[in-house]
Amino acid sequence: MISLSDYNHPHSPHGLAVSVKDLGLTYTTSIDKKPTLKARLRTLGRGKKYTRVVKALSGVNIDVHYGAVLGVIGSNGAGKSSLMRVISGIVPPTEGRVEVYGSVSTLLALGVGFNPAMTGRDNVYLGGLAAGMSREDIDKNFDAIADFSELGDAIDAPMRTYSSGMYARLAFSVAAVVEPDILIIDEALSTGDAKFKEKSLNRIKELRSSDRALILVSHALATIEDVCNEVVWLNKGTLMARGNPSEVIAQYRTFVNARKSASSDEDV
Amino acid sequence: MDKPVVVYEPFRAGMPPMRDYLRTLWGRRTFIAEFSRSELREKNYGTVFGQLWLVLNPLLLSGVYFLLIYVIGGSSDANRFGHLTATLFLFYLIANSLTGGVKAITSGQRLILNTSFPRVMLPISATVIALFKFVPTLIVFAAIHLLIGLPYSWKMLWAIPIFMIALLMGLGMSILISCVNVYFRDVSSMLPYLTRSLLYLSPILYEASSVSDEIKSLEIANPLFYLLDSWSRVVVYAEAPTTFGLLHSLIWALVIFIVGTYFFLSRERDFAVRL
Repeated sequence: MISLSDYNHPHSPHGLAVSVKDLGLTYTTSIDKKPTLKARLRTLGRGKKYTRVVKALSGVNIDVHYGAVLGVIGSNGAGKSSLMRVISGIVPPTEGRVEVYGSVSTLLALGVGFNPAMTGRDNVYLGGLAAGMSREDIDKNFDAIADFSELGDAIDAPMRTYSSGMYARLAFSVAAVVEPDILIIDEALSTGDAKFKEKSLNRIKELRSSDRALILVSHALATIEDVCNEVVWLNKGTLMARGNPSEVIAQYRTFVNARKSASSDEDV
Repeated sequence: MDKPVVVYEPFRAGMPPMRDYLRTLWGRRTFIAEFSRSELREKNYGTVFGQLWLVLNPLLLSGVYFLLIYVIGGSSDANRFGHLTATLFLFYLIANSLTGGVKAITSGQRLILNTSFPRVMLPISATVIALFKFVPTLIVFAAIHLLIGLPYSWKMLWAIPIFMIALLMGLGMSILISCVNVYFRDVSSMLPYLTRSLLYLSPILYEASSVSDEIKSLEIANPLFYLLDSWSRVVVYAEAPTTFGLLHSLIWALVIFIVGTYFFLSRERDFAVRL
């Protein structure tokens, strides 16, 4: 488990930030929507287990170096979010090994805030503390977070009153202001209005530096091409290609278009 | 080359490396405090009336049972009213810990799916919240104690270890049930019946001495029976607890805590997938 307070972990520029070796991830889900004792008792003694096995990732090898901005692309269900969850230590891998050489800040699909009844401020503090920041760290960054999110007084309103755009703005601000060694952003750029989108894109460009690694998951291929210096393409849990952004994106486009005629991926 | 800060590998059944785990847990202690505080604030306990409610609620509770047993039942013994309130308040420390703990993991879904942290922080917070709610009731009981003129003695210091045992028991139950509820979601709907049964099976509405020996031998299976009996002896009658009572509750608390924590820690890496 990483804490953001392991801040001053020494790492050489261009050193390894994340190393993923032969990663496999299998989910076993029950077919029943909710696991209950009743359902378990009902299936007891029937010998058959009502579960479904989903292979989310298999044989994935990726090295991310400091200074890299890695774009992750792929269709829905390709395993992008699963990969991010494994790298950030939320879900343990089923096979293989993941090594992380620094503090990680994640902005995954769900965003910040786990209790909608609490205010934006409380949620920011709780999220930060859970991630291992100290209260002083958050105090120091809080104004910058609130400013960046442009929420104004709404920061002290319960998060259930937020619009989805406000939600996304706050989530992005938390992840982007904190300045971790490794920043993972999972499809969080796609919400928010044009102005905020541009602002967050600029922030990501600012965050690019030789002693930081960024991993962006997005369907916005133009953005990925613009921001990243390396792209990996995942399909059904396996790595299809990695390398130069324009080449990989071109391959991905041909692949998608081969299966489905006209498609526009250009919604940021 | 640098050494990795952290390595994620497939986990086999068993505990995570304990030293690292405890170190991260200790590093997150401010989260537990802040979480409990925001949770209480969200339920309006930050306001004057909210805090008043924390005191009023146990008073009303004991009032209801007072009515039931001593007005309708026709008994008028001050000691027994003291016993009722003292044991009821301690019982609620454990019951609140259980009801808070049952959904600790399942309602922390967003946080669990987004952040890597020792999951056991969530049920611990539930017990801390129960503790915050217990403190005002202790003050209410002190006032009752004074008003109805119950005895005092140095032996009342036994209340401290007994309270610690109760807290450990509440914590263990909270950790255990939060984990069980991940796998069997209907446990949370059965919980009210469980706590209600515990309430009636424990010496709260009656005293342990009024129970026949046969039933008493069955009550060994009730983790709370001798705990509440010892608590009553100490804080109501200012007597020392029996060694048996003390050991019985200590062993139960340790067993629940150890089993619950083992179960929880060996499973917690699986939670993100199960939610």
